[in-house]
Amino acid sequence: GILSRKMSIDTYNGSSMIGMIGKDCIAIASDTRLGVQLKTIDTNFKKVFKATDHCLIGMTGLATDVQTLASVFRYKTHLYKLREGEEIRASTFSNLVATTLYEKRLGPYFADPIVAGLEKDHKTGKIVPVLATYDLIGCYQKCSNFAVGGTSQNMLYGACESYWKENMEPDELFEVISQCLFSSMDRDCLSGWGAEVYILTPEKLIVKRLKSRMDQF
Amino acid sequence: QNQIGQADISMSRKYDRRTTTFTPEGRLMQIEYALEFINKRVPTVGILTKDGVILGAQKQQKSKLLEVEKHSEKMYAIDDHIVLSASGFTSDANILIDYARKAGQEHYLTFKEPLPVEQLVQLLCDRKHYYTQFGSSRPIGVSFFYAGYDRYLGFQLYCSDPSGNYSGWKAHCIGSNNVNGKSMLKDEYKEDMNLEEGTKLTLKVLCKTLDTTNPKAEEFEIVRLTLDEGIPKISTLDEKEVKDYLEKA
Repeated sequence: GILSRKMSIDTYNGSSMIGMIGKDCIAIASDTRLGVQLKTIDTNFKKVFKATDHCLIGMTGLATDVQTLASVFRYKTHLYKLREGEEIRASTFSNLVATTLYEKRLGPYFADPIVAGLEKDHKTGKIVPVLATYDLIGCYQKCSNFAVGGTSQNMLYGACESYWKENMEPDELFEVISQCLFSSMDRDCLSGWGAEVYILTPEKLIVKRLKSRMDQF
Repeated sequence: QNQIGQADISMSRKYDRRTTTFTPEGRLMQIEYALEFINKRVPTVGILTKDGVILGAQKQQKSKLLEVEKHSEKMYAIDDHIVLSASGFTSDANILIDYARKAGQEHYLTFKEPLPVEQLVQLLCDRKHYYTQFGSSRPIGVSFFYAGYDRYLGFQLYCSDPSGNYSGWKAHCIGSNNVNGKSMLKDEYKEDMNLEEGTKLTLKVLCKTLDTTNPKAEEFEIVRLTLDEGIPKISTLDEKEVKDYLEKA
């Protein structure tokens, strides 16, 4: 139905998202609800996208901008690969996100991305996780532990702060990120209706679909 | 009599300064000169088979002092489903290839679908044609072979020249000795060829145009566009594979 209260553009569709760093791995999780204010219209809406085999980008905010930005990033990363002959690295991509958002400084995309990727340090050979979050005009913020976004952002901060710890292996990382997401998502009427969790290790990408409370409240 | 710059018998030289001027015989000399250059370049062969398109070219002999190149100088992927082979001025080719790559991504951004092959050919040809009618620029001195796949027309092979004209081909050959190459293709190409037979024929034609009795695998560059479980794939034959085909050809 049409609400009489004044709505905000960044809570129009609803979303929850977490990015978390583990030991030589990184995870990103989001809910899968698409709503029009309080009405749910899709329970299988994709908000996390593959930028490359080693980098994921998830976006919260206005759903149409989430989709358009996903297409814009596909455009830019494909051109990069054709010109450079290799896939864009996670840290390079995280800068590309910031500049792409700033291109629309005076008429922004109403989306807040979280970039989660892995790359190899060329000098030491060590796996370096890349986790970054941005505001809608590209303020680039590197994170060393976790990044959160969406309509349940404040609750997510609290949950992650309590349960995140350093050097979690992929299995434990999966548990922690899922529980943090669920506990906050379930309290937010604009997020929920299922979750997708992506765990990225140097060898593979594991994607899990989770069933949460399938209701609004 | 043989002085360069003197008016020759056909008087073409008086009309060759600009592309925007025809000769009395109705020729555009700048375009013809560009084609002359391309016909002296390394031979390139394109063959269309029912399960893929093959592009083959001679790798130009390079100085040992040159750094090892990361990318090929001749074969360029435009998107996942189109690959071009460029003959002529590499610097001219590079501009058009970047334009083609952008066009491919622009199309996908709007339609969420790969750019149909003939549309790409037309975009590049229109660009090339522009320089034959307007301004004081010279034509773009490149001929392209386009190998591509789309869901509308399947596997396709096209060839365009500096004038901006293009044609669709089943098999074609450009560069030095292309007359020999073309006659061999006319005799030996069959429409129901498969990828293996097509690759063998590509190498056979290249050996003939190269005029060598002792072909070496590292002299050739063969690129193939095929479908891998329904998804277009561009692959380059490595030296060992080329050697195997040379022995069979």
